[in-house]
Amino acid sequence: MNAYSLWVMEYAAVPNYPQSGLIYGMHNQGTRKLPYCYIVIKGHGKLAMVDVGYNHKAHGEVLANTYGVRGWRAPKEVLAEIGIQPADISTIFITHAHFDHMGNIEDFPNATFYLQERELSKWVWTMSLERRFRWLMLGIDPADILRAVDLARQGRLVCVDGDRENVLPGIDLHPAFDTHTWGSMYVTVRNDLAANSQSSWVFCGDLAYGYENLRGHDPEDPEYIPVGLATGSQFNLIMTTERMVKSVGGDVHRVIPPHEERLKDLFPSRITKAGLRITELALADGEKSQVV
Amino acid sequence: MINDATAKYIVENKNCFEDLKQVASQLAGLLVLAAAGSKEGSPDHPVLGAARELYREANDALRRARPTDQACKHHAHLTRAAASIGIALKEAGGGLNIDAILIPLRAGYTELERAADALPGFEKIAYRRACCVGARIQ
Repeated sequence: MNAYSLWVMEYAAVPNYPQSGLIYGMHNQGTRKLPYCYIVIKGHGKLAMVDVGYNHKAHGEVLANTYGVRGWRAPKEVLAEIGIQPADISTIFITHAHFDHMGNIEDFPNATFYLQERELSKWVWTMSLERRFRWLMLGIDPADILRAVDLARQGRLVCVDGDRENVLPGIDLHPAFDTHTWGSMYVTVRNDLAANSQSSWVFCGDLAYGYENLRGHDPEDPEYIPVGLATGSQFNLIMTTERMVKSVGGDVHRVIPPHEERLKDLFPSRITKAGLRITELALADGEKSQVV
Repeated sequence: MINDATAKYIVENKNCFEDLKQVASQLAGLLVLAAAGSKEGSPDHPVLGAARELYREANDALRRARPTDQACKHHAHLTRAAASIGIALKEAGGGLNIDAILIPLRAGYTELERAADALPGFEKIAYRRACCVGARIQ
């Protein structure tokens, strides 16, 4: 029995991203495709998402022309592929405040957003430091902060402080402080709704970019390898990875890195007319497949 | 084609643009904390002092700027951005009345975006340091 249908929706991609940015230590080992994706969770009469992508109006031209990001499509077009409109989304979990994860707030007019309070407060603290500390501000778009002010005033920004269970039935939020960012979090979906779930999924944001982060280079002799970039510590990343992997009973394929192209090798998927992939992780009871 | 004098203007005024953008971010960050009910969202937050100091430096740099004909539009946007952000900063000194701060702040940030579009070399965010953006296309 599945309470929720789960889809990974690609909305853009970088065809050639350096491996060293993704997997610590993979220097001079070429590039790989880096899809940009968000997650859709549908069930119990609810529609939720994990992250919302970047704001094309603000960044699209530079990202496309200067950094080679390809194929961006608006949430309206991406979500229509599975019969959903952005206005239908009621709950959004933001794993961290980088522009490619929380930049599209304004496209979801009816959603309430959940974010760790520490993610906001530490960014603001960072901004009080002198210019030479500006590396710590990486990936933050001032316009996203301005949009977040509006959200908060409308009561649509919920600042979470640590763990929070059953935000929606069977869906929990877990902090990963001082890892990829100050206040990153991951989202657990207990798809059988059981307290000791046998059917858990973890949506990890950028706590892992690919399977190498979760099981190393040799699946027969697994090890955790941190991502190529962290504001916090590699130690915290590794210990968070242990918590995530344990929470899915050791099955690393149930930890879903949204930038992992090889999800298609493990789960049913299809390519849309726009050339973007939809990967179907689970179907709620009675839900029709969107990929076959 | 950017002429040499304008290239010099771009180099000399990059930090001024970055500083104004940082002040806007600092104020916006403080507002979001206040609006979200965070205990840290108060006028005592050190970010406000940092914003004032940075604003002074940016304003000084702006007064020293010598825009070329090619850079006039950019400089006009930057000047308007500084004026609006200055109003927002002044308002913040009287407590965190969100509306009173947010309206000029948003106007100032819009001017910064227009400035970024008016000449090359002024980025809205530091893409090259963003985690999910790859290498520059050569």
